[in-house]
Amino acid sequence: MSGLVVTDLRKSFGSLEIIKGVNLSIAKGERHAVIGPNGAGKSTLFHLITGRFPASAGRIMLDGADITGKSAHDIFRAGLARSFQVTSLFPKLSVFENLRCGAMRTHGAGMSVLRLLSGYRALAEQAEATMEALGLAHRRDVQAGSLAYAEQRALEIGVAIAGGAHTILLDEPTAGMSRAETERAVSLIRKVTEGRTLVMIEHDLGVVFDLADRISVLADGQVIASGPPAEVRGHPAVRSAYLGTAAEVLA
Amino acid sequence: MRRWLPWIVAAIVMLILPHVFAGGFGLSLLNRMAIAIVFALSFNMLLGQGGMLDFGHAIMLGFGGFLAMHAMRLAGLGWYIPTPLLPLVGAAGGFVMALLTGWIATRRDRTAFAMITLGLAELVVAVVLMFPSLFGGEEGINGDRSDGPRLLGFDFGTQGQAYHVLAFWAWLCALLMWRYTLTPLGRLANAVRDNAERVGFLGYDPARVRFRVYVLSGLFAGIAGGMQAINDEIMTSANIGSEASGAVLLMTFIGGIGTFWGPVLGAVLIVLLQVALGTVTDAWQLYSGLLFVSMVVWAPGGLSGILLAHAPVVRAGRLGRLLPDYARLVPGFVLTLAGVAALSELGFRLEAIRGGASAGRVLGLPIVATEAWPWLVATALFLTGAWLLRRTFPAARAAWQEAAQ
Repeated sequence: MSGLVVTDLRKSFGSLEIIKGVNLSIAKGERHAVIGPNGAGKSTLFHLITGRFPASAGRIMLDGADITGKSAHDIFRAGLARSFQVTSLFPKLSVFENLRCGAMRTHGAGMSVLRLLSGYRALAEQAEATMEALGLAHRRDVQAGSLAYAEQRALEIGVAIAGGAHTILLDEPTAGMSRAETERAVSLIRKVTEGRTLVMIEHDLGVVFDLADRISVLADGQVIASGPPAEVRGHPAVRSAYLGTAAEVLA
Repeated sequence: MRRWLPWIVAAIVMLILPHVFAGGFGLSLLNRMAIAIVFALSFNMLLGQGGMLDFGHAIMLGFGGFLAMHAMRLAGLGWYIPTPLLPLVGAAGGFVMALLTGWIATRRDRTAFAMITLGLAELVVAVVLMFPSLFGGEEGINGDRSDGPRLLGFDFGTQGQAYHVLAFWAWLCALLMWRYTLTPLGRLANAVRDNAERVGFLGYDPARVRFRVYVLSGLFAGIAGGMQAINDEIMTSANIGSEASGAVLLMTFIGGIGTFWGPVLGAVLIVLLQVALGTVTDAWQLYSGLLFVSMVVWAPGGLSGILLAHAPVVRAGRLGRLLPDYARLVPGFVLTLAGVAALSELGFRLEAIRGGASAGRVLGLPIVATEAWPWLVATALFLTGAWLLRRTFPAARAAWQEAAQ
């Protein structure tokens, strides 16, 4: 089975169980949104999948390979990249250098001290192309730490996608963006995830229904519904658990 | 081509310097600068570029130096070890020491890393003192650099010949360390400094990045140790200890950790201070300590940071506009400095008199440190200077801000 498959995943912090047996099956090339109320465990789920925390139980398979318990850098090498809800960049490096760091591994630049970075032509081109797609080309040499908030959010997505991973997890990519910035981000995400698997946590239901092929609803550490947008929209358990307050948005 | 220009200029300057400072004093100054430059640059590979505060950097220099010293002694016994190649032996020593200590220290970062290096440094010094047959105990081990085989007729015994060896190594090491900043590992070190966790999600193990940077830095520190063995012809436990580790932190920070060349400035300045002030006062360490603290508090970018902050002003051709406001800082600065110097020297003199010395002179003047009035004057100087600085500084800052826009 290809794609990302999560089976009976559990995570406890002390005696508190946050993820209570999550099952997810995301096909290759699918755009999948994870929604749910605050505290449902969405970000924790992402941290487990990407190796930030070890899972307490369960299994995570990526394209048929078991990535459960692997370190973050091994999971990246298996083809999975992610962005963060709280912007996580290299503040003293320029926009270009941030993107180049994102793509370095994929272009075979190990921890070499013999070859110069400038010798990796394809790497630089990839970083430039991503910068272009993000609309940050005019900010090429600006330190990431001095960018405006929306620019940092765009770069956050850019660093995740620059390496060309086949599976991309975005944690609230449009959080804190204005309407116009969100629209721009959505079309960017649509463009750069063409032909790749996308999993994203998103609170903006407009974005979710615009982008996602399928939606999973996470509530209290469990997936209570999973399916195409139209199906999830009408699911009674979903309405009561999560969409109650936002029902008018969906009506 | 333009990026090579500074290196060519540096090489030419280094070739001219021994002719300008031809005396034994000048040459010994230059030799110590060459060593300090390599040491400080290697330290900044960790601190400024990699975000690793190493409290025990001298163990790498020291171990490299001891190994080079042993090689020098072997050369005296007839082994074919040319003196100019001793820094390579030092490199091997620094490399091995960095492998051993880095294997533990680089598993962690930030505060934990700093504390581990502090502990390891104490450990290494203790071990060094435990094996006097290898490290000579308190007295250290010595050798004679002219014992090595002659190369092109040189035995490297004179300071001038030693200078050319040390200058060559300083230039080469600086070039290699600069080149390193342009490699994948050099960039990853910056990334790990800025945000180690994110590096993990980009396919690299941040602990392994730190380890490699640390080992490479140790190798260059070892070269500095080999250079020191050539220059001093003796290595003691003091060269490996915490005072030497503190000194490199001091000079690197004062020079500025935010630029590649900052540590070079710091190394040159601190060696100058050590030697220049060391000949006139016993309190030179106090002055470099005060300079360090002032830098940390008021100019965390160091000297290179101050210079860099003025680059846009110079480019805009507005440096002239700053001069009046900067000139107004001078009286306060001079008075503060005079007050601090007077208080420190009075203190030292007072302690000497208590120990049975004659009244002597303070700052070259016939001042008796046991009387009250010199203390009052010194305190007044300091307070007036500090007050003046406080008053004139905001205007200078505002002028800079305006000019830098």
